[in-house]
Amino acid sequence: MPLNIQIPQKRRYAFGLLGALACSVLMIGCGETVPHDLVDAVESVDRDLMQAHAAEFSPSDYSRFAHQWMTLKARVEAEEDAIRWPWEESDLETALRLLHQEGRQTVARVTAQRNTLRRSAEEHLSSIEERARFITQQVSAIDSRFVLGQKPVESDLLIKQARTFLEEGKFGQSLLASQEAEKSLSAQKILLGRELGRYADRTRIGEWQQMAKQTIEWSRRHRGTAIVVNKADRSLTLYRNGKKMHSYPVRLGFNGIGEKRYQGDGATPEGQYRVSDKRGQGQTQFYRALVLNYPNADDRRRFLSDRKAGRIPRSRAIGGQIEIHGSESDLMALTLGCVMLDNEQMASLYNRVDQGTPVTIVGALDERNSVAMTLAHLGMGSDET
Amino acid sequence: MHTVTRPLIVLSIACLMFGIAGCAQPPTEQIAAAEQAIKDAQTSGAATYLADEYAKLEGSLAAIKKEVADQESRFPLFRDYGKVDQMVVTAKGDAERVKAEAVKKMEEAKHAAVQAQQGAKDAVDAALGLVAHAPAGKDRAALEAIKTDAEALKASLIDVQMMLDKSDYVGAQTKAKAILEKSQAVSHEIETALAKIGKGHSAPPKSIKKK
Repeated sequence: MPLNIQIPQKRRYAFGLLGALACSVLMIGCGETVPHDLVDAVESVDRDLMQAHAAEFSPSDYSRFAHQWMTLKARVEAEEDAIRWPWEESDLETALRLLHQEGRQTVARVTAQRNTLRRSAEEHLSSIEERARFITQQVSAIDSRFVLGQKPVESDLLIKQARTFLEEGKFGQSLLASQEAEKSLSAQKILLGRELGRYADRTRIGEWQQMAKQTIEWSRRHRGTAIVVNKADRSLTLYRNGKKMHSYPVRLGFNGIGEKRYQGDGATPEGQYRVSDKRGQGQTQFYRALVLNYPNADDRRRFLSDRKAGRIPRSRAIGGQIEIHGSESDLMALTLGCVMLDNEQMASLYNRVDQGTPVTIVGALDERNSVAMTLAHLGMGSDET
Repeated sequence: MHTVTRPLIVLSIACLMFGIAGCAQPPTEQIAAAEQAIKDAQTSGAATYLADEYAKLEGSLAAIKKEVADQESRFPLFRDYGKVDQMVVTAKGDAERVKAEAVKKMEEAKHAAVQAQQGAKDAVDAALGLVAHAPAGKDRAALEAIKTDAEALKASLIDVQMMLDKSDYVGAQTKAKAILEKSQAVSHEIETALAKIGKGHSAPPKSIKKK
C-alpha cells in the first residue's frame, strides 16, 4: 500500500533550495584540495632544478625550495583544507602558486649561474692551458726542464683533471682544479727565477764578464790559447793571443744551465779552470777529451759552505771529471755535466789546445742572454729574480 | 535519580575526551628514528651522490618539525599528531631508500675509482719499464726529463690512494685518469725515440763517472 505524504508547496521549494545549497557546498568544498596541474607544475619545477644541478650550484636556493616543497607536499598528501567554504581562499593553493613562481625564478637563476660558472671554468682552463704551453716552450728553449723537477707533471695532471671535470659538467670542480694548476704554474716560475735568476743579475753577469776578460787577457799576455764557454749561448770560444780564433756550438749536461752543487746533479760548473789532462782516442769513451781541474779551490769552498748550511745533503760528494769532450757515437751521445762538441769540432779544438790551457765557464756575458730573456718573457725581470 | 545521572555522564564523557586529547603527544621516538635515518643517509654519501634527494629529506624533516610546532601551539584538546605520524613514516622510508641508493652509487664510484687507479698504476709501471730501456739519444736532458716525469707520475699515485682513503672517489678517479693519460704520453715519447734509433740501443750500462 503506497504511502501518501502531502508536502505543502512552500516547504517543497525550501527543501529544494536547501538540497541545492548542500549539493553545491559538497561539490565545491569537498572537491580536490588544490588543482592537480598545479602540483604537477611544482613537481616539474623540481625536476628542472634537479636537471640544472641546483643542489650543487646553489645549495641554499635548492634547500629552501625543497624545504617548502616538502612541507606543502605533506599538506597536499594529507588532503588538508579538503573542506572549505567555496568563497574561502585555499592558502595551500596560494602557497603552491607562490612556490611555483619562486621555483621558476630559481630555475632561471640557477641556469644562469651554471652557465656563468661554465664559461668561467672554460675560460680559466683555456688560459691556464695556454700559459702551461707557453712556459713549456720557453723552458724547453733554454733546456731548463730539469730545473723544474716534478712540477710540470703536477701542473699537467691538474690541468687534465680540470678538463675532465669540465667535460663531465662539474664546473665548480673544474675551476678549482685549474686554480690549483695556476698555483702550480706560478710555483714553476718561482722555481725558475730562484734557480736561473743569476742569468738576469747584472752583478753576476759583471763577475762573469770579468772572469772572461781575465782569461782573454791571459791569452794576450802569454801569447797562448784560452777557452771561454758561455752556457746561456751554448758556445765555446777559442782565443789565441787575446784574439777570437774559433767559436763552436756545444751541448751541456742534462741540467747544464743549472749551478753545479754536487756530484750527479747534471749541472756544468761555472768558474775558472785549466786543462789538466788531454785524452786522445782510446783513452776516453767520448772520442777525445780535455779534462778540467774541477773542483778548484772556489768550488770546494762553496761546496763545504753549502753542505754546512744544509743546502746539500751530507751524502753528496762534490764530483769531478768535468771535461770538454766529443760524443761516443751519434746515437749515444750523452753528457752528465760536461761540455760536449761534435767529434769533428772536438778534433779541431783538441789539436789547438795544450795541457794547462785556461778554460773559463760562465753563465752569460750579455744581460740580454737567452735565459734572462726567457725569464723576462715569463714575467720575471731581474728585480723579481 | 535521572536528573543527577545525566550531567554526571556528560561530565565523565567530557573528562574522558579531554584526557584523551590532552594526552596526545608528538611521536618523539619515531621522529628521532626518522632523523637518525636521514643522518645515516648523509653518512652513506647521500649529500654527495644524491644531493637533491638529500635536500628533500632535510626538507621533510623540517616539515615534520614545523607540523609538530604547529600542533604544539594549539590548545591541547585540539592537538592531532596523526599527520606527523604519516609524515614521519614517509620520511623514514624515503631516507632508507635514499641511503640504499647512495650506498649503491658510492660503491659504483669506488669501483670505478679503484679500476681507474689500477689502470693508472699499470700505465705508470709500463712507462717506468720503458724508461729503464730508454735510449740515451742525443739529448740527455730530454731523457732525464722523461725519467723525472715518470717518477712524478709514480709519486702522484700516492695522491690517488690518499683520495680513496678519504672516500673522495670522484677526485681519485679523475686524478687516476690524468695519470693514465700522462703515463701513456710518456710511454709514447719513449717508444717514438726507440723506434727512431732502433730497439737495440738503450742507455749504456757503463759505470757513471764522477761529474
